[in-house]
Amino acid sequence: MLVVPLEMMTTGEQGRIHALDGSPEFVVRLQEMGLREGVPVQMVRAGSPCILSVNDQRLSLRFEDSTTVLVELLKCTR
Amino acid sequence: MPAAPPAVSTRSLTVAVIGNPNTGKSTIFTALTGMHSLIGNYPGVTVEKKIGNFRHQQQDVRLVDLPGTYSLSPRSLDEMVSVEVLLGRQAEVGRIDAVVCIADASNLERNLYLVSQVLDLGLPTVLVLNMWDVAQSRGITIDVEKLSQTLGIPVVPCEAHRHRQIDAVKDAVLSVAGKNGVESPRVFPAAFYDEGKQLGSQLRDWGEPDVPFYVTERLLLDVGGQIESTFAARFSTRLTEVLAAARERLKASGFRVPAAEAKARYAWSRQVLTGIMVVPQQQQVTASDHLDRWLTHKVWGLTVFVLIMFVVFQSISTLAAPVMQLCEMGQQIAGDWVSSLMSPGPFRSLLVDGVIAGVGGILVFLPQICFLFFFIALLEDCGYMARAAFLMDKLMTKVGLSGKSFVPLMSSFACAIPGIMATRTIENRRDRMVTILVAPLMSCSARFPVYTLMIAAFFPDIAWAGGWITLRGVLIFVMTFFGAFVAIPVAWLLKKTMFRGETPPFVMELPSYKWPSAHIVLLRVYESARAFVIRAGTLIFATSILIWAASYFPGDHTELNRLQEQVDEAKVSLNTEISEKAELEKQKSTLSQKGSAPELTEIDQKLAAIESKLEPLETLITTKNAMSEHLLETSYLGRFGKTIEPAVKPLGWDWRIGVGVLASFPAREVIVSTLGTIYSLGGDVDEADSGLQNALRESKWPDNRPVYSIPVAISIMVFFALCAQCVSTLMVIRRETNSWGWPLFTFTYMTVLAYIGAFLAYRLFAFLL
Repeated sequence: MLVVPLEMMTTGEQGRIHALDGSPEFVVRLQEMGLREGVPVQMVRAGSPCILSVNDQRLSLRFEDSTTVLVELLKCTR
Repeated sequence: MPAAPPAVSTRSLTVAVIGNPNTGKSTIFTALTGMHSLIGNYPGVTVEKKIGNFRHQQQDVRLVDLPGTYSLSPRSLDEMVSVEVLLGRQAEVGRIDAVVCIADASNLERNLYLVSQVLDLGLPTVLVLNMWDVAQSRGITIDVEKLSQTLGIPVVPCEAHRHRQIDAVKDAVLSVAGKNGVESPRVFPAAFYDEGKQLGSQLRDWGEPDVPFYVTERLLLDVGGQIESTFAARFSTRLTEVLAAARERLKASGFRVPAAEAKARYAWSRQVLTGIMVVPQQQQVTASDHLDRWLTHKVWGLTVFVLIMFVVFQSISTLAAPVMQLCEMGQQIAGDWVSSLMSPGPFRSLLVDGVIAGVGGILVFLPQICFLFFFIALLEDCGYMARAAFLMDKLMTKVGLSGKSFVPLMSSFACAIPGIMATRTIENRRDRMVTILVAPLMSCSARFPVYTLMIAAFFPDIAWAGGWITLRGVLIFVMTFFGAFVAIPVAWLLKKTMFRGETPPFVMELPSYKWPSAHIVLLRVYESARAFVIRAGTLIFATSILIWAASYFPGDHTELNRLQEQVDEAKVSLNTEISEKAELEKQKSTLSQKGSAPELTEIDQKLAAIESKLEPLETLITTKNAMSEHLLETSYLGRFGKTIEPAVKPLGWDWRIGVGVLASFPAREVIVSTLGTIYSLGGDVDEADSGLQNALRESKWPDNRPVYSIPVAISIMVFFALCAQCVSTLMVIRRETNSWGWPLFTFTYMTVLAYIGAFLAYRLFAFLL
């Protein structure tokens, strides 16, 4: 099982959110929007900002040094 | 005879509507209440207060729309409003009889997060599962009956955009409203509820007799949240200490605040949905994703974005033009009609020169405003706006902002006021301030009349590509983005100097694309058109009258009125000649295009004959014009204008434009009505042809040079692109920043920028052309 920061996922890769780390306020906001530990995700468009598929919704995200989202990679469908 | 009617409460019920963003909440709201809703503001905050009414089974219901939100844990005063309304502590709304919680059926697990918070309020609640069709098309099945049993509240599946199940929602609301509230689900461990009880009794000891459970819950969960700040003002450090101790005890028992809330609520949500909702394992690639492959692409996405913007502004100028001509004709007919009813005098002048030329001059732009808002509402409702924000994030980070700033700036293209209000979605204070300060640089709809007037009057109507691209359309497009272009260095500079700091992280939902709802789009157009007309009828009306009075008095108009009467009489008696002349001129212009010489000379001879008959009238008009010109120049406004002329001369302007610009301090579009009044009074306008465009073209300096040239027109447009001539915007900035300093700063920097810009533009184009 490979755990990488979200930024390192490439387009099409799937994974599961392993941990959210950063300012509590921003982490809570992410959780409220559905990005939380254990949720399966798929990278729709890599980059900064990226587009991430979380459950059935699409989130657009850009991280700064203060926030890290770790993802367990599941499989590569490229 | 129907069976026994349901128990009807004699008073109107108050029902709050809440839900996540992008769940079709506003579609449901309008489907329930129809077109008529009251829109205002809650005192002291920027939250829009939207209230509508409906009547169902002989019961009046007042519906309060709350802003879309992912959670009910208030972090700011704005978010606090929703909580206060729901707790029945908002004086203007009063007690809440029921809550309608709107959830996206295709994303129920996340939506239940907010639902669980709403249930903690203990109010009678209805859950509406909107976008039911979307969920079904994705193969999601939800056992509505069982969900309703588990939650203990009515659950209604709904397709609001097709108006399906709207009556079922109304039935459900009436079935719960005013009854006993729901029992809050126990989503947290027992230790948490014990702490809540303890905190409640502590607050009671301090003299707060009824603190709802929801408030104690939020006090414990939101570290540094808005409720804590509100209470802290009353209890100072006592409360902070008690809360810190309580949170410490919870942490020791394995409940870490604030991380634990999300965990607990999602665990509850999952548990509720077990056996009720089945979601297909495979994540599907939707039609939305296929579209996004192109529309969010680095190259294609940006190309499409620029194309869309171009088409929008091109079509505004081509589609609105014929409607605008109709409006201008109407304005002229109204002016002639009033003139024919009254004899010349101050009152006729007030009506014709002040009201019809002033306010009417601005109302002719209504079609364009409608088209602009139509396109913006269309792009917003189909879900494209969020993609535009995504595409723009890269660009925005270059100046130190994020994509979050894009949507407020984009809506500032319609009007800076909603744009500045929309900045409250930006959590980072520095970003929010910079966005507020540059938002008025975006080309709002009030600049449209100025651009259109100048462009239509001074640039030829050239079309390329079979009429699809016109010079005027291109110019409107260029002027529209000019302000945004200038905003880039301004924002960068502000970020580098006054608002230094890290670029904040960025997260935003990209809703699925959908067909825009005609109802929602038309409603937006209607609302903005109404606001525009009201503005024209109040602020612009008042300014027009003031401008008229300043340019009418103190001169003695008896001689002018006598001349005017003579002109009117001569016109009546020479009526046949006048119409014959117009007919001949028409023939001449069609013939000169064909180029048949002998017929032309014949017509020229006939024209000369008629013109000699009309000569006394022409002389009369020239004398009258000279007199009104003199009266205008010696009026209060004229004297004032002459005094300030040296200040605006470097920009290529005469005193009329200078006065117009000063008079348009309350609102940019006033320049159009002011010029309308000035030229209508000044008599530069030939009566038979009262268009402001012609008046501008024929306006002359004392030495007979034309006042307006292309460089002057560009100088005026550049000035209006960059200036801060809008009292409402400055007032909103004051309210949002809670200081007079920032509106003052905005006004100063923009006016300086506008003056320098207009000066440079005038010099540059005078040199080039």
